Formats: sequence, structure tokens, C-alpha cells
Amino acid sequence: MRDPRPRKASPRKVSGAKPGTGHFEEFLENPAHFMLRAWRECGELAEIDLGGMRNVLMVGPDAHEAVFRAPDSQLSASAPYQYMVPVFGEGIQYGAPVAIERQQVKMQANALRASKMKGYARIIAEEVQEWVAGWGDEDEIDVHRELQQLVLRTSTHCLMGTEFREKLTDEFGLLYHDLEQAISPAAILDPYGAGEVFERRDRARARLQEIIMDVVRERRARPAEHPDMLDTFMNARYLDGSRLPDEMIPGMVVWIMFAGFHTSSNTAAWTLVELARHPEHVPEILEEVDAILGPGQDLSFASLREIGTLERFVFEVLRLHPPLVTLMREVLEDFEYQGNLFEKGTTLILSPYVSHRIPEIFPDPEAFDPHRPAPENVFALIPFGGGTRKCVGNAFALLQVKSIFCALLSRFTFDLVEPAASIRDFMPSLILRPSEPCHVRARRRERSSS
Amino acid sequence: MRIRVDLQLCQGHGVCQEEAPEVFRVVEVPGAYDRVELILESPDEGLREKVVAAVRFCPNRVLSLEE
Repeated sequence: MRDPRPRKASPRKVSGAKPGTGHFEEFLENPAHFMLRAWRECGELAEIDLGGMRNVLMVGPDAHEAVFRAPDSQLSASAPYQYMVPVFGEGIQYGAPVAIERQQVKMQANALRASKMKGYARIIAEEVQEWVAGWGDEDEIDVHRELQQLVLRTSTHCLMGTEFREKLTDEFGLLYHDLEQAISPAAILDPYGAGEVFERRDRARARLQEIIMDVVRERRARPAEHPDMLDTFMNARYLDGSRLPDEMIPGMVVWIMFAGFHTSSNTAAWTLVELARHPEHVPEILEEVDAILGPGQDLSFASLREIGTLERFVFEVLRLHPPLVTLMREVLEDFEYQGNLFEKGTTLILSPYVSHRIPEIFPDPEAFDPHRPAPENVFALIPFGGGTRKCVGNAFALLQVKSIFCALLSRFTFDLVEPAASIRDFMPSLILRPSEPCHVRARRRERSSS
Repeated sequence: MRIRVDLQLCQGHGVCQEEAPEVFRVVEVPGAYDRVELILESPDEGLREKVVAAVRFCPNRVLSLEE
């Protein structure tokens, strides 16, 4: 006997499944809190019943590593996310075969390359400064709304360029909202079903196709270089040398926007909340930011620099409040993990929200502490996922958040309006955000020498 | 100085190539992401600073240094 463990282990089942629907209702109410309960009750592997389908929550760095290292042909990221296909469009991302999808991801990654960041940093700095200039000396700020509006502006501008940003940001935001409303539990069950929200989604998608194609056509008529992501898509080619067809470009735009908008805006929202909740950490960040923002240095330069204190703070925000609380994979070929066999058809769930609260890795996990040492295991802290499917917009997201907080902290101090404990993790959609009401009072700092 | 590469994690971002083009090259792979290739497995000490930056800024933590 080489292996003393029993041949077939199996995960413990989470209690409280209802006949027919299993844990579906509790899951929908707040996926983050449900996953946390599942782990507390069952440990590293927890079997969840979402209405008949077998789902297993896998918690911890070893489990993450096993999943992240498995090939797409064994664990598919595309299968569990098919409800995104009517949003992004046929032939785009999970609506395309894996080999094509990978090349499209590469086009996205090309739009987000380090060499492009300088241009984006300039655009973001401009937007942030203009936005903040509209604040008074003492204003009450609706955290979620304000940062959503700001990140909508910075991201549309970097994505679609100046012309588009000046004309269409508001309409873009509304159409985007209609797409997002259709990402619901009903869509997960049947994304092509009947219903008002799905009709609105399809109308919004068709309108986005129209307005983005207009920009594409205008640009093709008057070729010039633009420092934005649309420019990258318009020049993108597949490996065989063929161009990304123009009618696919709107799908690429919607996709990158979906991946980056709410994730970044809610990370920024939570960062502002935690800064206001933990003013004791502000001076050290401010000292570093002020030193970088000294005479002659502008915001775009600063946001590209390493700002250790601010970055550690943001990573602690991402540890406790990862915008995506679950990452799913569907088993296409039997997958074994520590003596457990997961057959074809099983959905595996990783949860940054849960794994970031393992006390052996993050002592006193609920405490917000930006001075925590980074875990040694690279698979322990996974706000951007990991492996070959890790978020390719990671650096861009960080650039936006750094730019926003360099600008805000150098100009204002913040106090929470509501009691600190009243603001909690809230999930009205698939993305984690602070609960409402959530306001901060922004007071203009005494002007320093520059 | 020896460089180790964990190819299973590489997405071909090319940050390493930007930091140390003498040492890293990112190549296209049909049907998959671009992938890093080592031009030099054991580069000279003179390149250490660049290599350390490449290891540190790799978005997927694909690279590590021995010695």
C-alpha cells in the first residue's frame, strides 16, 4: 500500500439544503457570506447544492494552485460563464473556441501593456484632477456613487478616447447598466429566456454595437494613432495574420469594461471607506505621496511609481473585500484533488473572499491591517485570480486606484459620516461593494508649500 | 545566478522582456498565450539588477532566482 489514505475521500456537504433548490436561495442572498459559512462548517472542501448541480467550494492556497495549474481542457472557465455570451456577443470570449479566446485575451493584454501605461496615467490624472476640482472645501460624498462616476470617466477615456468620452460617457454608463442588470440568477439558469431585463440587455447591446462601430468607422476613414485601447483593438491580428473583424470590436470593448469597471470602482470605494475608518494609517501614506508629488512632479508620474504604503493598503482592501468573491471552473475531464475525485460536470468554486480569511495565513483575519506581511505562498492572496487565467488588467486597475488616492489624499482628509461598523460587505449583483448608506465628509487640507 | 521559469503560470505579458531584453524573450505559441523563453539561463552578474526587476514585476510570479 503506497497511499494509506482511503481511495476515495469526499467533501462534506453543507447543511441546510432545501428540497429542489438546495442552497440556491441562501447563495443568492449573499454569495460571500454563504461561502464563508460553507467553509466554516466543512473546511477545505465543501459540497454545495445549487439546485441539483454538484458544486464544490475549494479553499486555500493548495486548492487554488491545483485548479490554476490544470489545463483548460480539464477545468473550463468558459463553461460556467456562458451567461456572459449574450452580453459580450457571439464569437467573443466565452462565445468563441478556447484557441480564439486566448488570442483575444492576448489582444486585451496588449491594450494593457506596461508600455501603454504612461499614456493612460496621463489620461487618468487629467480626469481625476478635473473631477476633484469640483469638490468644495467641505463636502459630503456618496462613496459608491462618486467613485463609480469617476472610474466610469477614467476608464471610458482610456478605452475609447477623447472624442467618445466627451460625447457619450453618460449614455455609455446607462447602456452598461442595462447589460449589468441582466447578469442575474435567472440569467445563470437561462440567459436566453424571455423577460423585460433580457430585452433591455439585448437592446443595450445592439445600441453599443452601433455607437462603437460609428467610432470605428470614423477612425478608419481618418487613420491616426490614438493612445487608447480601441486603437489596439483596431490594429489587432490573430496569429494567422487576419485582422480582428471590426464588428467584433464592440464586444472587446464591452468585455474589457465589464472586467474592469465595477471591480475597480468598488475597490476604490472600499479603499476610501477603510481610509476613513483607519485614519491612523493615513499619515504614513500621505508622507510617501507628498514626497513623490513634490515640486515639478505631476500626478501621472506619481501614480506610475511604486508607492509601497498605498499599495499595501489597497492589497489589504482587496484581501478583505475582493470584488469578485468567487471564481468558477467546470470539470470537463475527471479531476483529482487530495484523494477526492471530481467527475465531469462538477463545478469547482474558488473564493478569494473565504480564502483570504484563513487564520493560519492571515492571523486575526477580520482585522484590517495594512502592515500584515505578504503571504509567502503566491496562491494565498488571489484578488486577481491566478495561473494562466489571472486578470490581465491587474496593473491598470492598480494605476487607476493609485492615481485616485494620490489626488484625493494630497487634497483632502476624510471622515465617515455613518458609524464605522454599519458599513458592510454587500452584494446586490455579482460584485462585492460597501453597503449603503455610505458617505464620507471630505475636508480640504491646509495647503502645503506647493 | 540562475533563473527558474514556471511555464504553467506564464501568460506572456512581456514585462520581463521590457525589463531585461538581453535575458528574456516572449514568443508566440499557436493556440495558447505567448510564453517566455530564456535567452540566457545563467546571465552575468552585470545583469542582476535588470533580472531582479523582471522577477519582481512579473504579474504572474512566473520567474524566480536561484543563488
